[in-house]
Amino acid sequence: MEIKAHMVSAGKAEGEAIVYNGPFSFLGDLDPATGKVRVPRHQLEGKSLVNKVFVFSRGKGSSGGDFAAWAAKKNGNTPAAMICLESEPVLSGAVIVTKIPTVDRPEKDVFDLIKTGDYIKVDATRGVIEVVGK
Amino acid sequence: MLLTDEEKKMRAGEYGPGIKRAMDLLIKLGDSFDAEKLVPITYGHISYDFTNEDFWDLMTEGVPKTAHRVTTHPSYSPELWKKWGLPLADNWADEHERKLKRFLELGWLRTETCAEYLLGIIPGKGDIVSMGGSCMQVANNSLFGARVDRMGILVSLAAAVCGRTPLMGLLLPENRYASHVVELGGLNVSEWTIAHYHCLGYYIGDQIPGFKPVAVNGLPPNLPFDYARALVISMPTSGSVTLGHIVGTTPEAPTLETALGGKKPEHVIRVGKREMTQTWERLNVWDDDIVEHVSFGCPHSTIDEIGRIAALLEGKTIKTSLLIGASAPVEALARRQGWADIIENAGGHFLPVCSSISNPFTRRDVAGEKQAKSAATDSARSAHYLATVSGVKVFFGTEEECVNAAITGRWKGEIPKWK
Repeated sequence: MEIKAHMVSAGKAEGEAIVYNGPFSFLGDLDPATGKVRVPRHQLEGKSLVNKVFVFSRGKGSSGGDFAAWAAKKNGNTPAAMICLESEPVLSGAVIVTKIPTVDRPEKDVFDLIKTGDYIKVDATRGVIEVVGK
Repeated sequence: MLLTDEEKKMRAGEYGPGIKRAMDLLIKLGDSFDAEKLVPITYGHISYDFTNEDFWDLMTEGVPKTAHRVTTHPSYSPELWKKWGLPLADNWADEHERKLKRFLELGWLRTETCAEYLLGIIPGKGDIVSMGGSCMQVANNSLFGARVDRMGILVSLAAAVCGRTPLMGLLLPENRYASHVVELGGLNVSEWTIAHYHCLGYYIGDQIPGFKPVAVNGLPPNLPFDYARALVISMPTSGSVTLGHIVGTTPEAPTLETALGGKKPEHVIRVGKREMTQTWERLNVWDDDIVEHVSFGCPHSTIDEIGRIAALLEGKTIKTSLLIGASAPVEALARRQGWADIIENAGGHFLPVCSSISNPFTRRDVAGEKQAKSAATDSARSAHYLATVSGVKVFFGTEEECVNAAITGRWKGEIPKWK
């Protein structure tokens, strides 16, 4: 199944989905040393985003999102690709400088169609999400 | 995106590799938001200490002194950290010094604060300013009516290097009207302190999808500056609000109708006692009542705030470490006033640092085994980042409760009884 979306940051990547129907910031939410979510009482607390296709709702938080993403990237601790409903300039800047293939504005309901553990291919340059299988 | 001839030369590398790379980033970002062109900035604001050094070098390579003004965010003080016995201070010194040297070569202004408006650097209404630091962005947008879009710290360096920013988002007047309204039905704010406004802002930020402008309705007109500031700067911590109108106080919101641009709001959010209590509880992340550190100055303290803290600490000795984040000029005024001595004699410290994200007392990578394991603060923004970035227990309460915690080493803060 293919879902059309809008390119935020160019490139292609694939991996296992990790889905969170909520907002995300590279600064604070992600531990750059481990690639795990570190917010107390967060639904994904302790879960790794490394090399996953991270599906979430939108960007949030401080403008330090891009320097935190840069630090995580240098440690190899970033998602392989990212999919969100609507990006915002801090998140977009972060994925552009770190070259993480990212799309937003998917034309179908990704929270209905993609579940954690599904295998996903993202071709951000073409604006296509492919749900390969469970 | 349409580029001028000059911008085409910048992108082609005629002005060196740094400007070329910075232009490339601004164009990619602008294209992803369908920006029609780049526009000149009145001034730029960056953070050399927060910018990763390899990225800093890439963006500033070959860049000459800029004609436009560029200011900077709170900075590190490795020499003071070392003097105060924080074991890993030396690890930060060389990189800080290298970037600072380059920063000064560029002719940029060493403001080192997240509250430049306290230094008299205030944008005019409608001025286009590129800034890193979501607390600066939301304050300049909301409180002064400057046109500032949401932007990351790294992107803000690209904009400062080029003196340009993509024409998008909140730079466009039609995007500045509030789409969401917050109504404070029935909350009596007559006894609210700065912490109460932080708590309200933190709740609002969490409720607004994306970075849509919001208008807060129902507060007394001409709200004191410190309260208005606390309210708006907390919003981009829990969410990404970058423009918060306060009806009757901020320049683009003389009335609710003006703030909405004559349109109906997409959504109305009602805040009452239940929402405030839940948010206050959420900001408190602790089990036992032992306080090891107290953090003020997120955003950087006003002289009035320092005066109140000094009055509470006069003749006292504190049991915790205590940090006041303040710009050097505001600290100098506190020193002339005798307040800095009172606070330092009690055991407190001043730094021009970001007292939440890079608080040297709570960061394990600065304080090592001396890291404070718990911290009290009256700032929701600070509470959020002390818990997440430093990973310490956090007590959130009023300024007075925090000063008491510093004196006793114990937390006696209570959830307010909302009226």
